[in-house]
Amino acid sequence: MSSATTTEASHSPVEGGHGHGHGQHAPFLAHHFDTPAHQFDSAKLGMWIFIATEILMFGGLFVAYGLFRGQETEMFHQAHERLDKIMGAVNTVVLLFSSLTAALAVRQSQVGDRKGTTRWLIVTLLCACIFLVVKFFEYQHKFHDGLLPGHYFTAHLAEHAHNGHVLPYRAHMFFALYFMMTGLHGVHVLIGMGVLSWALKRNLDGKISSRYFTPIEIGALYWHLVDLVWIYLFPLLYLVG
Amino acid sequence: MSTASSDHTSDHAHAPQTEGHHEEGEVHVHVNSPLFMIAIFAALIVLTVVTVAVSYVDLGSANTFVAILVATMKASLVATFFMHLKGDKAIHSIIFIGAFVFLIIFVGLSNDDLATRGAVDVDNGAHRLERTGVVAPGGLQIPAAPAAPAGATTPAAGAAAPAEHH
Repeated sequence: MSSATTTEASHSPVEGGHGHGHGQHAPFLAHHFDTPAHQFDSAKLGMWIFIATEILMFGGLFVAYGLFRGQETEMFHQAHERLDKIMGAVNTVVLLFSSLTAALAVRQSQVGDRKGTTRWLIVTLLCACIFLVVKFFEYQHKFHDGLLPGHYFTAHLAEHAHNGHVLPYRAHMFFALYFMMTGLHGVHVLIGMGVLSWALKRNLDGKISSRYFTPIEIGALYWHLVDLVWIYLFPLLYLVG
Repeated sequence: MSTASSDHTSDHAHAPQTEGHHEEGEVHVHVNSPLFMIAIFAALIVLTVVTVAVSYVDLGSANTFVAILVATMKASLVATFFMHLKGDKAIHSIIFIGAFVFLIIFVGLSNDDLATRGAVDVDNGAHRLERTGVVAPGGLQIPAAPAAPAGATTPAAGAAAPAEHH
């Protein structure tokens, strides 16, 4: 798009050659994009760059995990047995299913099925709620056992000794990583729920069609990222070999 | 496109998508059939069962390798099909994989740093720090008196705290 002339020309197929007026604009097409495809591609490109930065943000924690585990292999193995494999597995299935329903929501929006989009978005949000409820019970148990990070770690003190478990030396490192990694992930679940709720509202307002489903697509991409992170968190934290 | 019939059988769902869709400048996407997406979900569940099952078998250090491998297979399925990287613009895949490339550099250099600390300066009298208990000169100054600040002598001072129950 070097000159203004080309820009005007490429407007025409969508706007009926109306130039720069608002009259023939598709209602969803922002002024600074030539075509719906241009707008869609720009949104997706931006989202993928954002996803890359998210992977690198979690990457810092994964690197810390990898290095500490390399040095404290036995401790990681013993400490991880305090986590509930069943709850972790249930949450894995819940998140995988929510990824499917998010993808189905996108699919229904692509074919213009507004009711179907609404239905799958609501199912996705319900899965997110189930995930957080399970996470709540897990956290509650860890709080009770004094496994919190930093100087809040009290599991080694006498008041927790009665339960018979002896924690390995430096076990607080494992639980600090556990809370940081699942905590950051949990924040992403909450944000994802916000994004999907916004997408749901846009859909209910009638702003989504088979020509314009970017909010559903972008919201689902974020949700899949949340799923992707958990796919790695589950075996690394709950299934230490 | 207000209320398209909620058809869940694959091929007819393409109809509202493809009609009047090939106009210049409109959004072009490939629409997957719901059955195909459910199949991907089933594969993800199977892989989850595999990774949980393998965790009960002692394969030594191979356990971690298998866990990471299975997780990567699952992540690939999600990225390829649910996130539509297949059939999408190549730049999206390049950005996504690029993030992992930089992550590998991050892991590699951090690991290299940790694994070789104290050993790089052997000719000048530095000694390997890890496991031997020998302090590497140059990195750490050995305090003359035991009353020196704790942080300078034992890097693991904070980490040693929970050892009290031993």
